[in-house]
Amino acid sequence: MLQIARIRSWPLAWKVPVLVAGLMVGIAALISQVVLSRLESNQENSLRQLTDAYLDGLSAAVLQPATRADVWETFDALDRARSHYSGVVARSVVVALPDDTILAASDPTRFPVRSKVPADLAQHIPSTDGLFIDNSGGRAWLARTLRVEGYSVGRILAEIDIADLLRVRREVLWTLIRVNGALTIAFAAIGYLALKRMLQPLSVLTSYVEQVREGRAEPIPEGNRRRIAAEFRQLFDRFNAMAKALSERETLASQLAAQEKYAVLGKLASGMAHEVNNPLGGLFNALETLRRHGADPAVRESTLNLLQRGLTHIRNVVRSTLVSYRHETAPNGAGAADIDDLRLLIEPEVARKGIVLDWLNEVRGRLPVAVGSVRQATLNLLINACAATPAGGVVRLRAREEKGSLIVEVGDEGPGLPTVLTNYLVAATEELAPAGDGLGLWIVRRLVAVEDGSISVERAQTGGTIIRVMWPFKVARSYQIDRDTRAEGEIAHVG
Amino acid sequence: MFWGGSFLNRASPILGRRRFVAGLISSAALSNQLLPAKAADAVTFGLNPLFLDSDIQLLSLIQKFLEAQLGRPVQLVKRRTYQEITAMLLSGQLDAAWICDDPYVQHQDQLTLLAVPLYRREPLYQTYVIVGEDLKANSFDDIKGTVHAFSDPDSTSGYLVTRYLLALKHTTPAEFFREFFFTYGHRNVVRAVASGLAGSGSVDGYVWDVMNEREPDLVKKTRVIYRSEPLGFPPIVGLQSPRDPNLARSLAAAFIGMPSDPVGRQILTLLELDGFTSATPDLYHATKEKWLVVKAQV
Repeated sequence: MLQIARIRSWPLAWKVPVLVAGLMVGIAALISQVVLSRLESNQENSLRQLTDAYLDGLSAAVLQPATRADVWETFDALDRARSHYSGVVARSVVVALPDDTILAASDPTRFPVRSKVPADLAQHIPSTDGLFIDNSGGRAWLARTLRVEGYSVGRILAEIDIADLLRVRREVLWTLIRVNGALTIAFAAIGYLALKRMLQPLSVLTSYVEQVREGRAEPIPEGNRRRIAAEFRQLFDRFNAMAKALSERETLASQLAAQEKYAVLGKLASGMAHEVNNPLGGLFNALETLRRHGADPAVRESTLNLLQRGLTHIRNVVRSTLVSYRHETAPNGAGAADIDDLRLLIEPEVARKGIVLDWLNEVRGRLPVAVGSVRQATLNLLINACAATPAGGVVRLRAREEKGSLIVEVGDEGPGLPTVLTNYLVAATEELAPAGDGLGLWIVRRLVAVEDGSISVERAQTGGTIIRVMWPFKVARSYQIDRDTRAEGEIAHVG
Repeated sequence: MFWGGSFLNRASPILGRRRFVAGLISSAALSNQLLPAKAADAVTFGLNPLFLDSDIQLLSLIQKFLEAQLGRPVQLVKRRTYQEITAMLLSGQLDAAWICDDPYVQHQDQLTLLAVPLYRREPLYQTYVIVGEDLKANSFDDIKGTVHAFSDPDSTSGYLVTRYLLALKHTTPAEFFREFFFTYGHRNVVRAVASGLAGSGSVDGYVWDVMNEREPDLVKKTRVIYRSEPLGFPPIVGLQSPRDPNLARSLAAAFIGMPSDPVGRQILTLLELDGFTSATPDLYHATKEKWLVVKAQV
């Protein structure tokens, strides 16, 4: 079964020549069998005619001597016959009397005069007259009763060498094997070359499909469409149509991403303006209070403290933004602070929606994972969780080290992630995100996939969704994220 | 003797199948077909069955020689057995014949010697008893129980001498040998023994010696274990009361003068003989003794 499965997996360019060769071998075997069978039949007929003529002549020559039991005349006839029948190679010829004693033989030393016909000769020759062929031994035996007026006066028994006939059969067989073998090899080679040529367009198609898998959907150039079969021309047309559609979708996705980027930038600017603006009113009030009542030490001290807190808040907001969007240039790994920083970024949204943040970061020390991937993916998941969770709900974050990996879980109390988005998130394919997602999940998946991580989604007991992301520790590689991936992350981290 | 020996009757390698079968069925009939019809004044000369296909050259030369010497047409007559030629000669169907010494001594009272061949300058030859090269036999007694090949019942070397040796032992071929058969040719005896068809054989020593030079591959498969004393060579004979006494004299003169004639020398070369000579019946005394011993046993 394993062999059959292995053969089934062979390329067509092999299977067809092997099939042709197999059929040729079968046909050759059949033809050889027919030819050899016909040859054997013809040879037997010829041998029968030849030996009949031989026995006719021999009978005529030995009949009278045998009737007289004349030893010499019988032997003389047999001896002369030896050189006159070149078509029949008689190993030995015996003329036996009716009492089974030998009158004379062509080989008198083997068959002495008046001795009994030896058993080794008698056993090959039945009591009836005729030709008896032993192909395996390369011999044949003849028997002819000598009759005078209906009475038997003796029998001619002869052992014939048919090695020449068998040699001819062997030569014919080897000729058939050589010719059929050459034809089989030639047909298989022609089949291989022809099929390889016919399947050439498939190789072209395969290379372009491979490009699609690598993210480059290019149409097959016109130069590759010349002198190919109509079936492949249709296939190329379909592929080119598909490549064009993919290309358009990529363009569309890029445009969408750009729009998202602007939207995010707007939201970021708006959020930062809000965060900065909020304390500004108090700060201006504090300045006004200082101008009017700055002489009072107590008021001055209180107002300066207020100014300091306000400015500190603004500094923290700016610093957190800078930390989140800084370019990662060194593989330092991720620590607990890198994850806790995200809290500063998400807190305005949490406060705005009246959501409770349940934050448990159990990471200790620095773990060998890409900090940029961890921060940006986790931030995206937190933003999505905030968006999905209704006012008063809880957004949870759990971060820990487990079996050589960093595990980050983000839970919400929303209505649950649609199945289509769940499947998209956990799948390892390169397809774009389903409609309605924006680019948040796409970015998360790309960031995790680049680091050989994995994502799982489950329903929380309290309702909502828990998304678990695992980053395996990378000991021997750089955590440098390629420029494209980083750019995408920058665009989408708050998407 | 060599008349039964027919050492020249080697099968031609170019014989076709049809010819081969026909020859096997009736070699005598074929031989007769090769002879022309007898002219009214033709001389008939008998030869024992030595002349088969490949002996045609010899037959042709003998006919050419005799016709030239006698100035008359000559018809050569051959038969399968010695007995047939002897019977034709005695019945007056032949003017003369070259026969074996055994039939001569049997019918000495009716036949007269015209000429006797000279072999190695003597009108003599020997009988050989031969065995197959692998047979463990070194004397005549050792061939007891073998299959024996004789040449002809009327051949001295091919039957009479062996039969005589057995008679001295008060036994017969049927008792002494496991099996015996006649090949009607001395060369056939050598073939039978060389092939293993027979374990032993009685053969003309002159034929065996000539074959040993011409066909050593065949003859080396045989081994001589007995040689008889020298015996009178098979003679050319005529009737004691011929129809034409001049013809008998002319025939004798022709054979005796053979070495001086170019065709005659060709014949002698083919036969490996030195010539012919006149002889008296005493030359065949030993043969006659043997025949008488055998005759007495029968």
